[in-house]
Parts: sequence; structure tokens; C-alpha cells
Amino acid sequence: MLKGHLDLIVLAALAAGPAHGYAVIEEIRRRSGRAFDLPEGTIYPALHRLEQAGLLSSRWVTADTGRKRRVYALTRRGESAFAERRVVWQQFSDAIAGLLAFGRPDGSPA
Amino acid sequence: MIAEYLDTIERALAHDRSLARRVRREIEDHLWEAVAASPEEGPIAAQRRAAASFGDPRAIAAQFAAISLVRRARSTGAVLILVAAGVFLTMKVRVVWYDAMQCVAGNDIGALNGHLLAVDRYAFWLAVVLGIASRLYLGNSGTWDALSPRYRRKLHRFILLAMVAAGALLVSVGSDAALTGLRLAGPGLSPALIVPLASIAVEVAGFALVVLHIRAAARGAASMRILSEA
Repeated sequence: MLKGHLDLIVLAALAAGPAHGYAVIEEIRRRSGRAFDLPEGTIYPALHRLEQAGLLSSRWVTADTGRKRRVYALTRRGESAFAERRVVWQQFSDAIAGLLAFGRPDGSPA
Repeated sequence: MIAEYLDTIERALAHDRSLARRVRREIEDHLWEAVAASPEEGPIAAQRRAAASFGDPRAIAAQFAAISLVRRARSTGAVLILVAAGVFLTMKVRVVWYDAMQCVAGNDIGALNGHLLAVDRYAFWLAVVLGIASRLYLGNSGTWDALSPRYRRKLHRFILLAMVAAGALLVSVGSDAALTGLRLAGPGLSPALIVPLASIAVEVAGFALVVLHIRAAARGAASMRILSEA
């Protein structure tokens, strides 16, 4: 299930600002309260896919360690796509919450 | 440990060298950062853990190979259409040039000229139709499900379609070269030959570009199949 929402998760992590792959993974872990502990290797193909789709841009920078690293950022199209997907997800989430609330232990319909 | 892991990924992506280099550098940075984040572990244990957390290198390479293949297939379709448009343009330039130079085909080659013109016309439009059809068939979706057998079969059919289109383009370019040769045979070398000869050279270069793209897509598809079956 998580795999189906990977792109939204990555876009959300990058909405905070440009970041390299490792930082994206850390951001996802931190903001999800470590609930989303994704296999690290799955993030990079997702970053490349989103870049190919024009939702991300990337550039090489030199880290403090002296190593080259690829930093990703949302493009304007990526920002729009993230905003749209967030609305869709919120509607879906509200609908599911409404359905689940109907079967609460106190027996009250929502 | 890390070098070995990176070598495996780079080898698996050898069909796309620029992607292989980029992926290697990105993952290398990630793995060393993961090692540095666990100073309490020994270096070997930390490297082993970082590689294990990253996942199976061949499975990850397969995901990158799929992205690369979709990109190459799309660019092959686009190049096919652009080259066909370029060939059409060079044909028109040649016709205008012949008119300007008042260069007409001799009566003795009139019949052969007519046959070659018909072959050229049909082959060219066949290449155009197949080129457009192959690009439309491929569509714009796919990056997300390129690992699925269904999409791989679609890519296989696309490559076959592109190869047939390239074959038709070859016949068209060959006919153009023959027609140009027939028209220019006889008068000897003159500066007036530069435009027709240059236009043929452009057509041949365009065809070579199409072949290179199809070859790259076919190699990508073969690598993808191997990685998926591993």
C-alpha cells in the first residue's frame, strides 16, 4: 500500500525544501514518526522517475565531506502536482475516517 | 563492501553508462553517509548494514533500468518522427535547388526515375505513418509500471514497429540517393552538386541517428529482461 503512495510521500518530503536522497529518507522517517521506514533503495528510483516526469529538478553539489551529492527540489509543476495530490488524499482520508467512525466501539453513528 | 555493492549496480546498468555513473555516485554518497551515522559500529559492520538497508542491488538496478528504457523508447519515437520530417525537408530543398539550377533528368532514365520516385514516396510515407503509430502506441504512461511484463511486451512491440519504420526510411533514403545519383550523373563535379550531396548526407546521418536510438532501446530492453528474470 505504501508503494502506491511513494510519489506523494517523496513530494511531501521535498515540499519542505531541496534535499539529497539520504535527507529525503530521514525526513520521511522523522515526519512519519518512523512509521514509514521504507527500503532506502526504493527512494532513488522514485526520485529519478519524478524528475523524468518533470516534477523534480536536480543538481550536483559538493558536501562538507567533499563527496558529490545530488540535491533534488520540487519544480513548479511538482508543487502543483503535490498540492493536487494532497487535496485528493485529504478527501480520501476524510471519507475513510467517516466510514470507520460509524463502527466506533461506543456504537454511535458518525 | 560498499565498492562491491556499487560495482554490482554499475555493471547491471552498463547499457546506459551515464545513468550508471550517476546512480553509482548518488548511492555511494548515501551509503557512506549511512556508515557515518553509526559511528558506534565497526566499519565493516556499518558498511554491511548500510548495504543491507539499501536493498538488493540487482532489484534496485532493475528499477533504474526500467526508467532508462522508457526514456530511451520515448526519445526513439520522437527521433524517428523528427528524422522523417528532416528527410521530407531535404527532399523539398533538393527539388527547389534542381528547379533553380534547371537540372532535369535525362529522357533515357525517365522510366527508372519514375519507378524510384514511386518507391521513395511509398517508403517515406510508410516510415512516417509507422513512426507516428509507434510513438502513439507507446503513449506517455509507463514509467511507473515499466517493470510489469505487460509493459515490457508493449516496449518489445514498439521496438519492432520502430525497426520496420527505420527499414522503410532506409528504402526511402536509398531511393533518394539513387535518384540524386541518376540526376547528377554526367555533368562532372561542380559547385552545384554541393546542395544535393549535402542533403543526401543529412538524410543518411538522420537514418544513422534512428538506428543508434533503436539499438540503445533494444539493448536497454535486453538488460531489463535479464534483470527482471534474475
